Amino acid sequence: MKMHQSNDPLTEVISLVDRKLNRRQFLKFQLKGTLWLAAGAAGLSLPGSLNAGGVPDISVVKGNPAAATRTAVELLGGMRAFVKPGDKVVIKPNMSFVNGVENATNTRPEVVRELVAMVKEAGASRVRVLDNTLCQPKPSIAQIKDACQVFNEDIIHALTDYSFYKPTKINDKWFGFNKTDVMKDVLTADCLIAAPTAKSHHATGVSLSMKGMMGLVFDRWTMHQQGLDDAIVNLAAFLKPKLAVVDASRVLSTNGPRGPGEIITMNTIVASADMVAADAKTVEMCTWYGKRFKPRQIKHIRLAHEQGLGRMDIENLVVKQTTV
Amino acid sequence: MSFKKIIQGFSFTLFFLALVWSPDPLLSLWPSDGFLRMDPIACLGTWVADRRFAPLLWVTGLILLLSIVLGRFFCAYLCPMGITIDFTDHLLLCIHHRSPNKPGDNHVNHLPSRRLKYHVLAFILGAASLGVSFVFIASPLCLITRFYGLIIYPAFTFLADMGLTALRPVADRVDLTAVAYAVVKVPRYDLQWVTFISLLAIFACGLMAPRFWCRYLCPSGALLAICTRRTILRRQVSPDCTQCGLCLQHCSMDAIGGDNKADGKAEYCMTDHTECISCLACVKGCPARAVSFAFVCESAHSHPGRLPEKISKGRRRIVWAGLSGAMAAILTLTGLKSPHSDPGPGSIVHPAMIRPPGALPENVFLARCLGCGTCMQACPTNSLQPLGVAAGLSAIFSPVITPRRGPCDPGCNACGRVCPTGAIAPLPMMEKLKAKVGTARLFRQKCLAWELQKKCLICDEVCPFDAIEFRKLPGQPIAVPFVNENKCAGCGYCEHFCPVRATPAIVVEPMLAIRLYAGSYRAAARERGYSLQLGPKTGVRSSVDSGLEKWYPSELDESGLPPGFTK
Repeated sequence: MKMHQSNDPLTEVISLVDRKLNRRQFLKFQLKGTLWLAAGAAGLSLPGSLNAGGVPDISVVKGNPAAATRTAVELLGGMRAFVKPGDKVVIKPNMSFVNGVENATNTRPEVVRELVAMVKEAGASRVRVLDNTLCQPKPSIAQIKDACQVFNEDIIHALTDYSFYKPTKINDKWFGFNKTDVMKDVLTADCLIAAPTAKSHHATGVSLSMKGMMGLVFDRWTMHQQGLDDAIVNLAAFLKPKLAVVDASRVLSTNGPRGPGEIITMNTIVASADMVAADAKTVEMCTWYGKRFKPRQIKHIRLAHEQGLGRMDIENLVVKQTTV
Repeated sequence: MSFKKIIQGFSFTLFFLALVWSPDPLLSLWPSDGFLRMDPIACLGTWVADRRFAPLLWVTGLILLLSIVLGRFFCAYLCPMGITIDFTDHLLLCIHHRSPNKPGDNHVNHLPSRRLKYHVLAFILGAASLGVSFVFIASPLCLITRFYGLIIYPAFTFLADMGLTALRPVADRVDLTAVAYAVVKVPRYDLQWVTFISLLAIFACGLMAPRFWCRYLCPSGALLAICTRRTILRRQVSPDCTQCGLCLQHCSMDAIGGDNKADGKAEYCMTDHTECISCLACVKGCPARAVSFAFVCESAHSHPGRLPEKISKGRRRIVWAGLSGAMAAILTLTGLKSPHSDPGPGSIVHPAMIRPPGALPENVFLARCLGCGTCMQACPTNSLQPLGVAAGLSAIFSPVITPRRGPCDPGCNACGRVCPTGAIAPLPMMEKLKAKVGTARLFRQKCLAWELQKKCLICDEVCPFDAIEFRKLPGQPIAVPFVNENKCAGCGYCEHFCPVRATPAIVVEPMLAIRLYAGSYRAAARERGYSLQLGPKTGVRSSVDSGLEKWYPSELDESGLPPGFTK
């Protein structure tokens, strides 16, 4: 009788054969078998962690935003794993809106400040925090600029003038979204770090690292014409940040990207060297419009995964969670 | 450096800086339209065209009163047009030799009669008497403000931008971020060739005679000349005069000498006070130091000036000029695009005629608008552009909002603050927010969401008034935009950012604009049922704010998916 309770498929088969099979049981059995096979196949085709040596693919840290940011990056091997001494680094936060921290539409200033500090500690020769702001540049970046006063350096810039952009071919496709004007600073940078805030988005479901890359081009408006989700993936494939740090300390769960909407306090920072994985983990982790969603339900994340830009199958990745 | 040049330099710097730079500390002392307010014809012409303009006349009154005492000092020392013409005349002398003034020049060089400027004045006042303002054609301050604001300033910024672009790589290398990330906004204006060529023609007339404009054409000069017939500060010539004639050669206004030698006085002793601008060139140029300026109360011995010999003929001509002005006004008013047409069916409003917020009702607006371009210069988004002939000739150079170029910033009321005649009312911010300038209209055939089923919600994203609603319709795979005309202020953010080229899919038209002569825009907006508010979407509550209710969108589709999510 003990054998009947076992979950082992083989014992189940034996037990089923022991008893008389009716049609329903047989179909159930077949379905189960198919699912097991499929799971096995998936396990074979998709490798587990890409990183050996105990470095997780995704780090999820709860706690004070600044401390959590630092810990999240350290879990991934520290900033030195991404920034080499002498590198030029561009950090791309969300700072498009004049709203304050309370609206959760911009990345928290503490997160940006911590990232800048870590990049400087890693020996970067030059750090810039850049965005092509939607709203008026000065008030939009004011809070982050204030927070970064401590560095006594002119780091934060809202580049809304065309002279800071350069027409760039972003892929070899013959048609569609294949060229755009990209920030010159980004083109010459050695390392790009995405530091979005987690928020919902009317058109793309969520606005995270990949969607945030739209803030590094001059004319983001025409991307809507190209088919927004495809355009986002095309652009992210070209810009491809080396590190994505998603500020999910306060998540704008509804009515993004401008808000105001429901804000959920998560006190969490998600970091990964794979921006798709970071985005996927954030989607899976948070509640959107009062519900839970799978990463594949966000079209641009799914497309990026399918194109091999990164991975949304977080269940197969090593996620390290901790609290500070 | 002569006294005149110092004052001129000061006036010009003040004029230019107040116009293009307009920093707050300067503006608290001196308004950016300060010189325009002093222009006699701009004020008088506007007053005749719209009698309610009277309260703003006092500055001009002061200038005219002062000129009774000091002569046409305004022309020599204050007028930026005069100062510019002095400069261009100097340049012209370098490239073109001009024979010096001689007595009776007019006949020799085929120059027009000095009375021409009175005719221009009469023309403008004649048209204004019927409520049509042609001030913008000939007011010296309008012309020169337009020139510096819409031609010279953009050229400056263009060059500065070029310089910056060249410097940027160097600054970047030496980590001079202040330069590397500096931006010069280069404004662009319509009708630049019209503005430029009209001014070029005025400057080029300096080839015929110095200060040609001031002598023969300027209606403000004519007004001042009328006041200075019996001016008190006069040119005096002592008996030391050697009749060398150098003073006449130095006189840019040709105000010295006369044909009349009946009283036995030498001709270089005579002065035409209506023409003399007290520039003191004759004092400086006299080798015998015989010329001086002094206050003379009444005049048995001084020359009364060169009065027109055939007074009756001159007057008749002036009457004719005034009548032709009135005729021009009638022509304007009987045109298809007449601003005085009755409202309702039969009236034509050009779709591009989106007037700035606070603009008076169209007929009064056009009566007051000088077309000086101060508002266009002050507009931070470069949205205000001079209108061409779309609304008729009398509306040329009047400002219109051009959303495709730049939206009307809800947090800005610069145009009203700088308007010299109040054609755009200086509204406080709360009033300005309610001053609806038009309404956005969707062209569904061009809309990415409506026509091509592409996810685009830029108009909603950028709308400061939250006037765009996205609704999920049966049969439509994605949510599509609608304009709520009661919430739309016509600011044009949607049109500006619409990714559809060339005609955008959403266009602002002057439909439902609020134009008040007096009274509160807030009250008017409320009366008409508009709810023009910035910011938060109505009906939206953050769980953080209320702590009670959560908000979920009403547009969830059958599958229960929020916007942007897929199955």
